[in-house]
Amino acid sequence: MYIILVYDIGEKRVGKMLKLCRKYLNWIQNSVFEGEITEVKYKELIIYAKKIMKIEEDSLIVFKSREEKWLDKEVIGQERNDLDTFI
Amino acid sequence: MKKTYYLFNPGRMSRKDNTLKFTPVDESGKEGMPKYIPVEGVSDFYCFGSLDANSALYNFLGKNGISVHFFDYYEHYTGSFQSKEYLLAGKMQINQTQHYLHTGKRMAIAQKLITGAAFNMSKNLKYYHNRGKDLEIQLTKIDLYAQEIENTTTISGLMGIEGNIRQVYYQAFDIIIKDHAMEGRSKQPPMNELNALISFGNMMCYTLCLDQIYHTQLNPTISFLHEPGYRRYSLALDLAEIFKPILVDRIIFRVLNKKEIQSKDFDFHVNKVILKESGKKVFIRAFEERLNETIKHRTLNKQVSYKSLVKLECYKLSKHLLEMETYQPFKIWW
Repeated sequence: MYIILVYDIGEKRVGKMLKLCRKYLNWIQNSVFEGEITEVKYKELIIYAKKIMKIEEDSLIVFKSREEKWLDKEVIGQERNDLDTFI
Repeated sequence: MKKTYYLFNPGRMSRKDNTLKFTPVDESGKEGMPKYIPVEGVSDFYCFGSLDANSALYNFLGKNGISVHFFDYYEHYTGSFQSKEYLLAGKMQINQTQHYLHTGKRMAIAQKLITGAAFNMSKNLKYYHNRGKDLEIQLTKIDLYAQEIENTTTISGLMGIEGNIRQVYYQAFDIIIKDHAMEGRSKQPPMNELNALISFGNMMCYTLCLDQIYHTQLNPTISFLHEPGYRRYSLALDLAEIFKPILVDRIIFRVLNKKEIQSKDFDFHVNKVILKESGKKVFIRAFEERLNETIKHRTLNKQVSYKSLVKLECYKLSKHLLEMETYQPFKIWW
């Protein structure tokens, strides 16, 4: 599946969350990630994320899409990071 | 599905926070904005530019089962970094060797491989024949040669027929492709644009096969059609025979006839022609697109990508070696 993940997390823990998400998804903006991920890897990511988060204070939202092609993406202004596999 | 990354720009790849960080470096040695690559989403790297890395990175890649394939300036395949074999199987190794040593058993597999290759080649030609290119002569010739495959008793005889088929097949390229002349196959080095493309494409196909073999229990050094030599993975060459017409040649027809690659995408030297970076990128993009394309598999009855077709071929071969099922080469049916 293809997901967009956004988080709003206390300053103390935000670095950890950033590092965790970088392992699974592509960074596209501050606290926003997107990318293709399998069901299992997604579960793994959420388990680790919950360990970092303070459930009373922090928030994490995931937008899911079955496939990338069902997602229209429009960039206005600067594209911070393009997701090309040609580097 | 995990993605393949193609590295063209020079830079430094490093391990950072248990994921991968790529820092591009320009000619004057200035570092650019680093790019983080999600390690969980990487299947392998194809490395065309110069890459700086240290052993810590390779340890990390090894642990994650990510392989790196290297290519030199003249777009030859130079080698791979692969993590240690993880699907070891002694029984398979023994059976594979037995099938190689036994002439009859070896011939049986080798003939099948060529039959598959010949079928897929003529299928390519038929496609263009049905679209108004006159390829009648080539098609009948290939057909005639293909009938002889069964009667061969030696590998060299079989290779001879394979050579004949390929020669006829490459003659047809001149009819199919509009603006570029084939002028016969030349390699090491390729003498014209079309040959340069074929060489590059075959190399990509070879690497793909090698990578898929790695994910099965087969040993890539013991082959049946090609003589198992030193310093090369000849089983990948065997498999590539079947897939070259489907994966490489069709893309060549497309990129040239649609003018996606033109003469300006080649570097002309005194006695060789090589693809420029722009040309490589166009080709690889088309190749990658094709690999991820899916078809409905007849016997498995589900969607299968072209990439996994290669792996399925390895499984069929394994089954044959373990004498569970007779190997039938992949024949394109659409």
